[in-house]
Parts: sequence; C-alpha cells; structure tokens
Amino acid sequence: MNTGHEKAFAGHHPLTLFIYFSLIIIISMFTVHPAILMCSLTGGVSFYISVSGIRNFITELSFYIPLFLLITITNPLFSHNGVTPLFFLNGNAVTLEAILYGADIAIMLISVIFWCKCFNKVVSNDKIIYLFGGLIPKLSIVISMILRFIPLFKIQKERISQSQKAMGFYSSGSYIDRLKSMIRVFSSLITWSLESSIETANSMKARGYGLKGRSNFSMFRFSLEDVVTLSASVLFSVLVFYGNFSGRTLFTFYPEISGIATDLFSIITYVSFGLFCLLPTFTEIKENLKWKYYVSKI
Amino acid sequence: MKKDILALFLAVLLVIVIIGGANIQSVDEYYLTHIDDITPESDTVYISITCGDVLINYEDLDPSLKSGDIIPPDGVILEKTEYVLRSGDTVFDILNRAVRYNHIQMEYQGADKNSFNTIYIQGINYLYEFSCGPVSGWTYYVNGDLPDKGCSDYKLSDGDVIEFVYVCRIPETFRQGGS
Repeated sequence: MNTGHEKAFAGHHPLTLFIYFSLIIIISMFTVHPAILMCSLTGGVSFYISVSGIRNFITELSFYIPLFLLITITNPLFSHNGVTPLFFLNGNAVTLEAILYGADIAIMLISVIFWCKCFNKVVSNDKIIYLFGGLIPKLSIVISMILRFIPLFKIQKERISQSQKAMGFYSSGSYIDRLKSMIRVFSSLITWSLESSIETANSMKARGYGLKGRSNFSMFRFSLEDVVTLSASVLFSVLVFYGNFSGRTLFTFYPEISGIATDLFSIITYVSFGLFCLLPTFTEIKENLKWKYYVSKI
Repeated sequence: MKKDILALFLAVLLVIVIIGGANIQSVDEYYLTHIDDITPESDTVYISITCGDVLINYEDLDPSLKSGDIIPPDGVILEKTEYVLRSGDTVFDILNRAVRYNHIQMEYQGADKNSFNTIYIQGINYLYEFSCGPVSGWTYYVNGDLPDKGCSDYKLSDGDVIEFVYVCRIPETFRQGGS
C-alpha cells in the first residue's frame, strides 16, 4: 500500500489480467450457486481492500449494504414461487425462497461490481490501448475513455462543487438547497465532460492515432508467472463450467432450495474456485511482505 | 430547515400510503380453514386440478421440479370436489377458494396487468407456465368444453364441472378456433 500501482498483481501481462478478470466476472454472472458466489465476493472484496485500503472499503459499505437489502426485499415482491410462504401480501405469497434468491442475486451483483472496481484499479488505460489498440483502435480508445469516465467525473465534480462553495453558493445545510446545488454542479459537469471527450478525440487524432504504420511502444513482458496464472485461470474455469453444465454443482431456488452438493468433485470445485479468486490477494500480500523485508534490510 | 421538514413529511406520507395499501396476511389467515357448507338447497359446482400431460412429456419438465414430490405421481393435484356456488361466482373465484382451502400454491396475474382484462393463472402447485416445454401452461374446461373467455369472466351456473388442466401442447380446439 506504500508503493505505486505497478507492482504485485498489476505487474502481470495485460493479456493475463484481462483473461483473469473476464473469466471471474463471467463465472460470477452466470452462476447462482451460493458457494461459488461467496468465493467470488470474498476474493473481490479482499483484493479491493488490498489494492485501495480498508478505510476506503468501510466508507463504501454504506452504499453496498443498503443496495444488498434493497435487492433482497425487491425480489419477493415480484416473485411468489417457493414452498415456504412466510406471509401473504395482497393475496400473493412472500416466500423464503424468493428472499434468499434476492440475497443471492445481490451478492452476485456486488461481487461483480467489486471485481470491476479492481479491474479499473489494476488494468490502466495504457494496458487496454496496448491490448486492443492494434486490432480495433477506435473501440479501444472508446473503452479506455469509458473506464476513465467515472473516476474523472468524480474528481471534476469535487472541483466544481469546491469552487461553487468558494463563491458562497448554497452553503446552507438544508437538503433541498443541497439538492439544488447538486443539480447546478451536475449540469456544468455534463457540459464539461462533453467538451473534454471531444478534446480527447481531437488530440488523439492530431497524434495520428489509429493511422496505418503508426507504431506503439510498450514495456510489457510475458513472464513465467503469467504462464502459471493464465493456465490456472483456464484450468479452474473449465472445472467450474464443467460442474455447472454437467449439473453436478447446479443449484436451484424454485420451488424448493436444493442443497449444496457436498461430494468430492463439488468440494474440489468450490475450494479451487476460492483459491482462484484469492490469487490476487495472495500476490499482493506476498509482494508487500517482500517489500517490507527489503526495506528493513536497507 | 422548513424545506427539510416538508421533505420528511412527504417521505413519511409515502411510507404510510405504501403500508396502508398493502394487505398483509399470515399464512394461517390466507389458507381458509372453513368453507361454505353444502346444504340441499345450495347451488354447487365441481372442480378438479390435474397435470397428467406432464407425466406424458416428463423429459421436457424443468429439472428443478423433477426432484422431490412436487408433481403428484398420478397427475392429480386436486380431485373432483364439490363446492358451494355463490351468486355471481366466476371460475376464478371457485379456483381461488378451492386452492386456499386445500393449501395449494397458486400464482396469478391480475386482470389489470394484461391486455385481455382477465385473470391469467401463471402457476398452480409450483408448476408454472413454460415449466414443461415452450407452449405449456394452465387452461380450463367447463363441462368438457374449452371456453373462449378468461377464467375471471366466465360466470358459472348450478352443476357445472370445472377442470383445470396443465397442457404441454396447444389443445386441438384452440387451433381450429384460431383459423
């Protein structure tokens, strides 16, 4: 946490990182198995903590816990299937299965959000341009601009609202006044972002980006560590996909919750997927220890 | 400060409307424990709920329904039973009373939620539309005929026999009527 971004897991080759993150996100999105989703959530959250610090994570909980509750409550209002009705709302059953399914979907959503946040931290713009710049230059610049959009938006929002405050606008604590001031900031933010995206496009054009014969320089090397990570990613994903399609680690909520399979194959799948998800955290911890060790020797 | 109080008041009002508009019943309240007694002078109808078609097309059935004892082995969810007909009762009223009395799960789409302005039965006994093939779902017969009305529009008369049937293919009479 005391060094720059370019270390530990982020030091992998962009291709490895891209495949690793896409596999985890795809698996998390297409399974409803609680054990696999919990692995994914644990991995995503612990990696996020190791990348951006525990304090950052705790402040963000105030958004993710209400989100979790909201999704959990919303699902039983629309889905009335399930064998254990708890009570009846306007003649429709609110069932335990529907609530648990809502919780499951919420975990899926939050874990995918956290993996995307980690992706944003680890895979910087230059890596995306490196990966796709040669193949599809226009799309890759658009992707990198989209991924940069929200963080940039946040920084600029902070700047605008500070300058508004410095001018003495809307300093009262009233919610309505604050809302008004937010709308004002938002409108100027939109104008700014439209302008800046055009500027970016123009400046890239001026540099001859995407023209034939334009060369790129990059320092990414495909090392032995990449081979190991990449083959582990492919191996573990094949295991999870096989378990899902063969029905061995299939999980259903309606009408009755099927139990979590506990045969040897399923347990191997859960544990290996858990390790797969925790891989970046382990790498971060290892590199941190190494760093501390070297510092202590100086 | 005044504006804040106003906003708070609005939020409280919204919560009251939501809670007041919601009718919450416990499980025991929802399932009827007592139903009208049949007396010699009361009008009655018969209702049965079957899913025999599922057993014929068992390979199409949703895998999550195959486990456990959700689908009855003989395909009969509710045997032909006699119920009192109150004046103005539709097929849906009788079905609703019958499933509530017999503790059978049922989910329906309200008449205001579809373009046919009639109640649509989505699932009975955890067996839903599309659970057993792409054209499967619940339909009903009255005295052996397929009515051309929704179940909340069909007014019953004394001695009618209602059959709710789960079908995995579109019934022949529908196809002929559609031409």
